[in-house]
Amino acid sequence: MDGPAVEIEYLKKRYGSFEALAGVSLSVPRGSVFGLLGPNGAGKSTMIKSLLTIIRPTECRGRMLGRPIGDRATLGKVGYLPEHARFAEYLTGREVIAYSAGMTGVPVRETRGRVDRLLETVGMKAWGEKKLGTYSKGMRQRIGLAQALVNEPEIVFLDEPTDGVDPEGRIDIRKMIEGMKAEGRTVFVNSHLLGEVEQVADQVAILSHGKVIRSGSVAELTGTGKHFEIRTLGPVPPALRERLESAGIQVAGDRIGVPAKDAGEVQSVIDALRAAGIVIRELKESRQSLEELFLSAVQGARQEGGQP
Amino acid sequence: MRAAMTILWDSFRLLQAKKLFWIALGISMLVALFYASIGFNEQGMTLFFGWKEFENPLLRQGQPEAAAFYVLLFTDVILKFWLAWIAVALALLSTASIFPDFIAEGSIGISLSKPVGRLRLFLLKYFGGLLFVALQVTVFTVIVFLALGWRTGEWNLTVFWAVPVVTFVFSLLYAVAVWIGVWTKSTLFALLGAFLMWGVALLGQWTESFLYQAAHLVPESGIEFDYRTGEQVEKDSVEKNSAAVSFHKTAKAVVTPLPKTRDCTTYLKRLIKMKERDSLLAGVTFDMLLSGSLPDPRMAGAMKRNDERHSFWYVFGTSAIFEAVVLSLAAWVFCRRDY
Repeated sequence: MDGPAVEIEYLKKRYGSFEALAGVSLSVPRGSVFGLLGPNGAGKSTMIKSLLTIIRPTECRGRMLGRPIGDRATLGKVGYLPEHARFAEYLTGREVIAYSAGMTGVPVRETRGRVDRLLETVGMKAWGEKKLGTYSKGMRQRIGLAQALVNEPEIVFLDEPTDGVDPEGRIDIRKMIEGMKAEGRTVFVNSHLLGEVEQVADQVAILSHGKVIRSGSVAELTGTGKHFEIRTLGPVPPALRERLESAGIQVAGDRIGVPAKDAGEVQSVIDALRAAGIVIRELKESRQSLEELFLSAVQGARQEGGQP
Repeated sequence: MRAAMTILWDSFRLLQAKKLFWIALGISMLVALFYASIGFNEQGMTLFFGWKEFENPLLRQGQPEAAAFYVLLFTDVILKFWLAWIAVALALLSTASIFPDFIAEGSIGISLSKPVGRLRLFLLKYFGGLLFVALQVTVFTVIVFLALGWRTGEWNLTVFWAVPVVTFVFSLLYAVAVWIGVWTKSTLFALLGAFLMWGVALLGQWTESFLYQAAHLVPESGIEFDYRTGEQVEKDSVEKNSAAVSFHKTAKAVVTPLPKTRDCTTYLKRLIKMKERDSLLAGVTFDMLLSGSLPDPRMAGAMKRNDERHSFWYVFGTSAIFEAVVLSLAAWVFCRRDY
């Protein structure tokens, strides 16, 4: 099927006078890993819950997998791992996955095979028959991921999937997300761990105070702050420094920052430095990290909203 | 169908994981075994498979009174006290947390994000909770059925009315626990609410019963009661006290919208049919049989009218309406809420 996996035209959620989502619109391409970023209380979980009918939005227009958002049958093609997922302690890992299989209508004869495969995939084969009460947080998250995949969903929503998981577990979860993408699934990840999202996401949106303040591909967004950095042997002479700064180039001691989209735009600066007899000891291309982008976007939004 | 079976199966697993379920089932088995150990011989009644003997002129082997006593022991004592009181209380303690746990943050999201409607999910979860009592009573009643057949030679299938009736009684209280549990998300409030409703309903039914006795049973039995002196006089004909009749009418009207937890179990006596008992022992109580005495026909008639004063509609119909209203409120909160 063509078209985006999720296309939100307008999504609004109010709790009394508080606006959790202030008319959000965004698009999630099929087969991509989409990262939804935002500070605590930005409305990330509210957005996912609205798409999955866990929360009833005040106003919602849009489509998910080609059907109107809220369509119950569509939820059979969706997987979900909630934030702070709580599974019944009396169940084994295998039973938790089988419960999700039953709820999404996976035929009984297929369930056992799928559960076995998923336990293997998430590295919980040896623990499948043990009660959840004996699991660590990381193990529960792995089982949570497995139950989200048991219906072979077209789109998987993961709300803070690495929350409380140790570094090794985080790497495993990242690999699992990459695996989901390789299988052609769309993965929607909510996270405040920007480094992790940057490593797996194709597209991101930054949410602040219920509004999308930035969205686009990771390359596109981090590319807006792209620049080249030149290091010289010794400081840049004052006369040349003045000339460079007047051209919008930043100079600080032996460090020169040139805003440029490609290397061709830097050549004139190199020529000027060489003409002045300055030795260049390093030249590198720099991009704005997702974290820098996130911080500047959120701070910008705060200032616009008149907040400190 | 697959989702429905999954939810019910999950409810069964939940029950299996509850210690109280096994404790209640264990006690049920003991009570049922004790029941099966009661027998009759030429002298009277025996206990613990013949280990203890009690002489009784009525309760002797082969006599219809003995068979009726055996059924009355089930309906008037075991069912009334064990199943309708202790087993229901234990079931409430065990199941009150089902909904507050189910709707807790991080737990409900997984179920709600599946292609199962909220109302269906709610109702299946609710019916899953009723399994606690339904299973207990079924196991218990099977033993009673076998014991009854063995002791009296009558394989009476009507004893299985106990399963739907006791489950229904539990469902009346469980509906209240579910409503308050869904509303407050608190197991403690759910329990308090259910027990409070149980208490109010019992108080209402006891009051109605007491007033009926004063207004109808006592005069119909030919007894005149002086409320000032406390004196009782037996007469051929006694006129009913209009004030007492009026009080009873008012009490019945007040009790009508409440769940009839006590009256439902009392009604079981009318549903469990025994050829001999229904013709010979109408109006005879368990205590009378145990003491080996029978009442005079007038009192027996009055007792029978007392036992049968409520219609099926009054007992079960009004209770079902109560349950439907409470359950609708709970379902409304469950379906409308953001989680």
